[in-house]
Amino acid sequence: MIIEINKLTKTYAGRKVTDIEKLTINTGETVGVIGNNGAGKTTLFRMLLDLIRPDSGEIVSKGVNVAENDHWKNYTASYLDEGYLIDYLTPEEYFIFIGGLQKMSVRQVMDYLQSYEEFFNGEILDRGKYIRDFSKGNQNKIGITAALMQQPELLVLDEPFANLDPTTQIRLKAHLKSLKSGNLTTMISSHDLNHVTDVCDRIILFEKGRVIKDIYTNENTLEELEAYFSQ
Amino acid sequence: MFSTFLRHQWTAFWRSRNKGATIAAQVIMGIFALYLLGVCLLVGFVMEDLIYKFMPDKDVFMVFNGMILYYFAVDFIARLQIQELPTLSIVPYLHLNIPKRKLVSFLQFRSLLSVLNIFPLIIFFPFCFRNVWPEYGGFACTTYLVVIFSLVIFNNYAALYFKRVSAENIKIVIPAILVVAALAGLEYLQLFSIASFSDMLFSYIAVYPPVGLIFPVLAVVIFLLNDRYLKNNLYVEDLTAGEEKKSSTDYPFLDRFGAAGTLAALEIKLILRNRRPKATVTKALLLLFYGFLFYNRKVLENNDFAKMLFAAVFMTGNTILIYGQFMFGWQAAEFDGMLANKVNIRDFFRAKFILLTISASLLTVLTTFYSFLSWKILAVHFAAYLYNIGVSNILVLYFATRNYKYIDISKGAKFSWEGVSASTMLLSLPVLLSPYIIYFPLSIINPYIGLIGIAIPGIAGLFSRRYWINFLVREFEKRKHKIAAGFRERS
Repeated sequence: MIIEINKLTKTYAGRKVTDIEKLTINTGETVGVIGNNGAGKTTLFRMLLDLIRPDSGEIVSKGVNVAENDHWKNYTASYLDEGYLIDYLTPEEYFIFIGGLQKMSVRQVMDYLQSYEEFFNGEILDRGKYIRDFSKGNQNKIGITAALMQQPELLVLDEPFANLDPTTQIRLKAHLKSLKSGNLTTMISSHDLNHVTDVCDRIILFEKGRVIKDIYTNENTLEELEAYFSQ
Repeated sequence: MFSTFLRHQWTAFWRSRNKGATIAAQVIMGIFALYLLGVCLLVGFVMEDLIYKFMPDKDVFMVFNGMILYYFAVDFIARLQIQELPTLSIVPYLHLNIPKRKLVSFLQFRSLLSVLNIFPLIIFFPFCFRNVWPEYGGFACTTYLVVIFSLVIFNNYAALYFKRVSAENIKIVIPAILVVAALAGLEYLQLFSIASFSDMLFSYIAVYPPVGLIFPVLAVVIFLLNDRYLKNNLYVEDLTAGEEKKSSTDYPFLDRFGAAGTLAALEIKLILRNRRPKATVTKALLLLFYGFLFYNRKVLENNDFAKMLFAAVFMTGNTILIYGQFMFGWQAAEFDGMLANKVNIRDFFRAKFILLTISASLLTVLTTFYSFLSWKILAVHFAAYLYNIGVSNILVLYFATRNYKYIDISKGAKFSWEGVSASTMLLSLPVLLSPYIIYFPLSIINPYIGLIGIAIPGIAGLFSRRYWINFLVREFEKRKHKIAAGFRERS
């Protein structure tokens, strides 16, 4: 067990956006977090990363409350939105900066990026542009790669498939599957039911901040979810 | 068509997202402009009496003639600072069935609607009618009016042209600053005077009015130049991203500071690559001339350092004050990433100290050029410098932990109230006033002891920096969620 959430609540303007009695994530799981807009997915991720403070309750990562100290930063990498990107840097500068935070040398970072050549499809490196001048999809690629590069034990991605072109979506899916191991725990939110059921071993469905379904993926999962969303 | 464009701009203004702040800013600016217009009108009508009163032994026409070019020289510099490029959001119109000619004309026409174009007319015209006409006749008076009007048009388009070209190629700013500095220096050393040149020129025009026709020609030339530039550059790609290849850069001298150095290097890139912080820091360089307003022989001879202290603290620390007052809003866009990534908050603060100390040191070195007036200035600046790097930056960073306002660093800062809040406004008061609290009682003994008194807390602050960093980290931890939430609220 890597994450344990206890009695977590968060209210915005009188509306509860998170209300979780108890939820645990086991080490090595790939978890898909789904739900319609306003279900509280991003809010949950933000609380997990200590970006917002819960009204009550706690999120415990490896036995330590994330709001209490920064220890979780040593093994957690995440990409939520463009609010992560330093948009006046070139992608190379950004990767080197993020790598440097994890004590990676410039050489290591560049070597690591070599293995992402295919994922980048020749559109990211050596373009002579600042991140702000890239398209949204390519910005997404930069953010996701920067998170993966840190070789975390806990990986948090908010809607990683959004804005990506079909080829990249398929490549990202394959890559996420290939990363699965006993050590890496991944949390992914998505609106694409095909993708999450394909990638994740466990799906948690939120509605208005509450856990509605918590299922381990099998061949019927997609139908079950489609049934829920079409009602 | 023009009326449609104007209506769209009007609607855009009223429906802008942070309407309250924009309108408040505009109202204040409006009141200010009206006040200035009133003052100008008054000055225009009592010009003759004013000249008699202040310079009784000089010829009225000589003073008036001398003033004209002087006014327009200052006006030009002011325009570079104040006048906005009327780009309007032209992009949505480019693909429509509107002739390009019309868009260009609109941009040209729109730029004339500026209060700056009215001031000179109401300052100078009354005197022309009341004094030049009776003295030199109707033809000369008409020429004066035409020349002044042409100068207004010339300045209007020349400032815009310069701004447009310099936005594209920043390098031309450096020779321009050198020329201005050289002219100011010559004026200060009384080797060349704009005023006497202006007097010579206009005395000549008064006698031989046709000479004045050169000015309308100049105005038309600069107008056409601007026109051509706009027509050639009215493409979406020119209006948005630049074409030049951006390369990665490194600042090896910061490496010795470790992780904090990396963060400081990041912030230097932030400043150099974004419009608003770059403008803010450039302004800091222009403010280095501030001292000329305060430093004069009498003050220096009397060791009247109190009169110099304000300028000294302001000049050696203006990046701390002006850049620092919006901290950490500059990084608002990537603040979530800063928090979620493995950035040590102590390093974050150390980086700020490195950056502020380096900038204050550079400014202090630059201000040594005042020492040609007197070495005493060096002593005052050095005391102010120590105070700034020891005390001011701690104050500024403390206030930064109470600043929750997002700013868009890619936009210009002209009259933008974005990011301004009560805490940023209050910030400069303690920094600029507290040296006086120390200085005044001590200066009764001796002005130099007063200076030492200012330097001591600065040195103390430097040596206890570790303690202050811990203090700032604690304050930051208390409010980081609030800061991050504030930065997520874009306008």
